[in-house]
Amino acid sequence: MTAVDVARHTALLTGRGIRRSTREVDALLLAVALPVLLMVLFVVVFGGALRPDGRYVDYVVPGVILLCAGYGAAQTAVAVAGDMTEGIVDRLRTMPVAASAVLTGHVVASMARNALAMVAVVAVALALGFRPSAGPLQWLAAAGILALFVLAVSWVSACLGLVARSVEAASGFTFAVLFLPYLSSAFVPTETMPRALQGFAEHQPITLVVEAVRGLLLGTPTTTAGAAVLWCAALAAAGATGAAVLFRRAR
Amino acid sequence: MRTLDIGENTALRNAIAVVDAPVRPSPLSSTLTFTRRALLKIKHVPEQLMDVTLTPVIFTLMFTYLFGGAIAGDTRTYLQFLLPGILVQTVLIVTVYTGFTLNTDITKGVFDRFRSLPIWRPAPIVGALLGDTVRYSVASVITLGLGLLLGFRPDGGVVGVVAAVALLLVFAFALSWIFTILGLLMRSPNAVMGVSMLVLMPLTFASNIFVAPETMPSVLRAWVDINPVSALVTAVRGLMAGTATFSDVAWVLVAAAVITAILAPITMRIYRTRS
Repeated sequence: MTAVDVARHTALLTGRGIRRSTREVDALLLAVALPVLLMVLFVVVFGGALRPDGRYVDYVVPGVILLCAGYGAAQTAVAVAGDMTEGIVDRLRTMPVAASAVLTGHVVASMARNALAMVAVVAVALALGFRPSAGPLQWLAAAGILALFVLAVSWVSACLGLVARSVEAASGFTFAVLFLPYLSSAFVPTETMPRALQGFAEHQPITLVVEAVRGLLLGTPTTTAGAAVLWCAALAAAGATGAAVLFRRAR
Repeated sequence: MRTLDIGENTALRNAIAVVDAPVRPSPLSSTLTFTRRALLKIKHVPEQLMDVTLTPVIFTLMFTYLFGGAIAGDTRTYLQFLLPGILVQTVLIVTVYTGFTLNTDITKGVFDRFRSLPIWRPAPIVGALLGDTVRYSVASVITLGLGLLLGFRPDGGVVGVVAAVALLLVFAFALSWIFTILGLLMRSPNAVMGVSMLVLMPLTFASNIFVAPETMPSVLRAWVDINPVSALVTAVRGLMAGTATFSDVAWVLVAAAVITAILAPITMRIYRTRS
């Protein structure tokens, strides 16, 4: 099977994933509505208490974008688990379809879906008063880091989707991913947390990614961009390798 | 078809003979029977107390340790402010289950059976509401226990805490009529849960549970000031701190009385016509 065939199969299965997303309107709405509601809640209700100068919106938006990306990417676990339990993968295995295309299709569809969700979140953020000072290059760099983050979470999710016995079990992972940004600098600076939590919050990958995106969008110096890229690349590589092994074993 | 002999005929006549009907149970007796039924449900399905347990634990830990330092400067100060509010939020979230369990009974057809019984009409609903008070009490004990464990110290003492919980239970009983109405109107238990959460979100989050209203935008503050949940939180906070005024408590009792006076008859009317 040539590289062109693999690319064609991947494109077809990506199209299938995107079509499924457009038909599952409630899941798509939730992926956008949940981060938007959280952003409105934190900016409008808690913002004044968390940052009395009224610029909490600038601080929190990068964190909410990341939360949106992570939650949306984690839905890959549900999609993969669904395919594994419904028998569609068994059907695809009887056809001359590149095995790698099945999971890659899910991951690429996840990236497309999340790009849309993140654009919606940024639009609401701008309406709430978010004023980034980033130029085109910084926006591009921030988008690149976020894309890499979505890629990493999507591949890890694909692994968990292959391991999960049911769709319900896989959906539990999405809530774990939803909770992780709270234990980072996404919503409040880590130095305001108790020491025990601070150690974890400062060194977990989400903090590195949030700080990198925040620095790029607000035009403040950031030292975490390199570490964030390395973390995401490592997670994506580990996730993709793990998914490939698990998918073969599932045969 | 064979005819019955004299002996068999007499036995049959005796078996179906008209005797005095059992005494119709009083409204109190009927209500207490349904209260017991609600408690038996908790006994047989203890998993339904999971939400009651997990919600206050997650919210208390998350807001105290993740946001407490940023909001109040340190976690201990914030815990003193937060815990009475979390107590209110927890109990109010639990009131949603009143409508949820009621709707489950209706969809399963159990309520049709109850309506055919010679009992006081509102007994199944009032009994369920009273039974749910136990659920609220469990939620209160768990929240307070966790708070004390984390370092919450109510200056109002035991009397203040008991008075605060009692006031909260009165208000929760009143508020649960809203969810009872939803339970009677909605098509499925999940629909009840979804709509109830939509009702509860602005009541709990757009209140003074988590942060002082002074830090909020003026438009939101206007809502917070008239939100009955804010009045309840202020009263509960005051009773626990030993600083409550008569007007704080009176406002909550009046609000509870008004809600009950308006919604209880509406609930009964819907119950008679819809279920």
